[in-house]
Amino acid sequence: MQRGSFITMRYLSPIFIAEVICFIAALNMIWKDKNAFGKVITCYLAVAFITEEAAAYLAIRGIHNLWLFNIYLVFEISTILYGLYHCLKKYINPKPIILIGLGIISLTYIFFLITQPFSNLNTVTITVMSVIFTLFCLYYYYLLLKDENFIEIHSHPEFWWITGVLFYYFGSTMSNLFDGLFSVKLIGFATVKYCIYIVLNLILYGCWLYSFICRMKQRELHF
Amino acid sequence: MQNETTRIAFLVAIATLIFLLVPVFLILYIRSYNRHKKNHFLEKQNMQQKFESEILQTRIEVQDQTMQSIAAELHDNVGQLLSLTTLTLNSVNLNDGEKAKKKIDNSLALVNKSIKELRELAKLLHGEQLVENGIGHAIDQEINWLSKAGKYELEVNNQLIDLQITSPDKDLIILRLLQEIINNIIKHAHAKHIQINAYLDKNVLHLKVAEDGIGFDPVEMKGKKTGMGLNSIYKRMEMINGKLVLNSAPEEGTSLTIEIPYP
Repeated sequence: MQRGSFITMRYLSPIFIAEVICFIAALNMIWKDKNAFGKVITCYLAVAFITEEAAAYLAIRGIHNLWLFNIYLVFEISTILYGLYHCLKKYINPKPIILIGLGIISLTYIFFLITQPFSNLNTVTITVMSVIFTLFCLYYYYLLLKDENFIEIHSHPEFWWITGVLFYYFGSTMSNLFDGLFSVKLIGFATVKYCIYIVLNLILYGCWLYSFICRMKQRELHF
Repeated sequence: MQNETTRIAFLVAIATLIFLLVPVFLILYIRSYNRHKKNHFLEKQNMQQKFESEILQTRIEVQDQTMQSIAAELHDNVGQLLSLTTLTLNSVNLNDGEKAKKKIDNSLALVNKSIKELRELAKLLHGEQLVENGIGHAIDQEINWLSKAGKYELEVNNQLIDLQITSPDKDLIILRLLQEIINNIIKHAHAKHIQINAYLDKNVLHLKVAEDGIGFDPVEMKGKKTGMGLNSIYKRMEMINGKLVLNSAPEEGTSLTIEIPYP
């Protein structure tokens, strides 16, 4: 009985539930968008919750699952960079800085591939990626403030999408830096790091969900 | 060792919480900054609307003034000429050929004069559109109309005729200003001599109108709400960042100098 509830908890983790809700919302609200952004994010969310479940499946069977997260990292990097590109292009031509960011992250990833086994978690790339994403988010805020026109923040989809990204990657900085140095279990299998990631994911998907709602309202107003 | 790990975990959790507070404050700052930006934008929009409504009002006033001038011309000039023509033609006696010829010739001359007057009127009717041809032409048209009255000794120096640059909104306000000034001179000044100077110097348009009429006390006049349209002149000058200097004293005439950044 106890094992049954443990497996259920593993499969139906808060992160997975948040991802599924966000995916369903994205499918209904932004999939029909004319630009590719909506479709890319929806596909990414699908990849995210499939990975989450596959990782849970492997963990339950006692199989190493970090390699799966390393593959997922490629999707994460490309999607978030594309999203940042989509948001920044309203103010500047972001191609050069996005390419520089992509170059740095790719080099770190290659460095990891060369120096460490693929079954290890790619912490270096995650840390570098988080810093770069945070910088891009802050740059977006800077451009937003510098712009002559004002935006209605409470109904601006891009703003909330970026805010979600900033919360997640800036908030995870400490966990990334101290990864492996603390593995205190709070409840059952849930470590402090896992709990932090639950909170961060809930904030991220909460912001994204709100961003999708804003986008849907915006589209309804246009028609 | 376990104790140390717990401490690190605790520190990381606290640090993460602090790290999460940073974006919160950032959002609050952006929200407040954006609100200021919005207020500023709305204020600017409001000012623009006020300016546009003032321009519209000016256009209506210019049209109204033109209509009044036309009505006066029709009544005092063309109407009189045509009445005289009717009277002359009515008194023609066809039995007295020589006299009849003379009267018909006179009538023809009167009709020709009426046609000429009507042409002048057509030009005046065109006056408002003259602004589109440049402020110099519009000022010239106004002065021509004033000179037709024949009551005043005019000294005109209009250097704006060949002006290549235009500023439609400002031109309209300047024309209306001149109309108002001329109106005031006709109605109140009892002047004999009028001097008008218009020129552009270092992107500043200068318009100076001086007359030797009965003058008035500007301070007293500014206090009155019906002050000869002075309040509206001052308001419009302010809107186009212009400067207006009014010099007048009882029995000493009036001089009005306007300086407007142009275009």
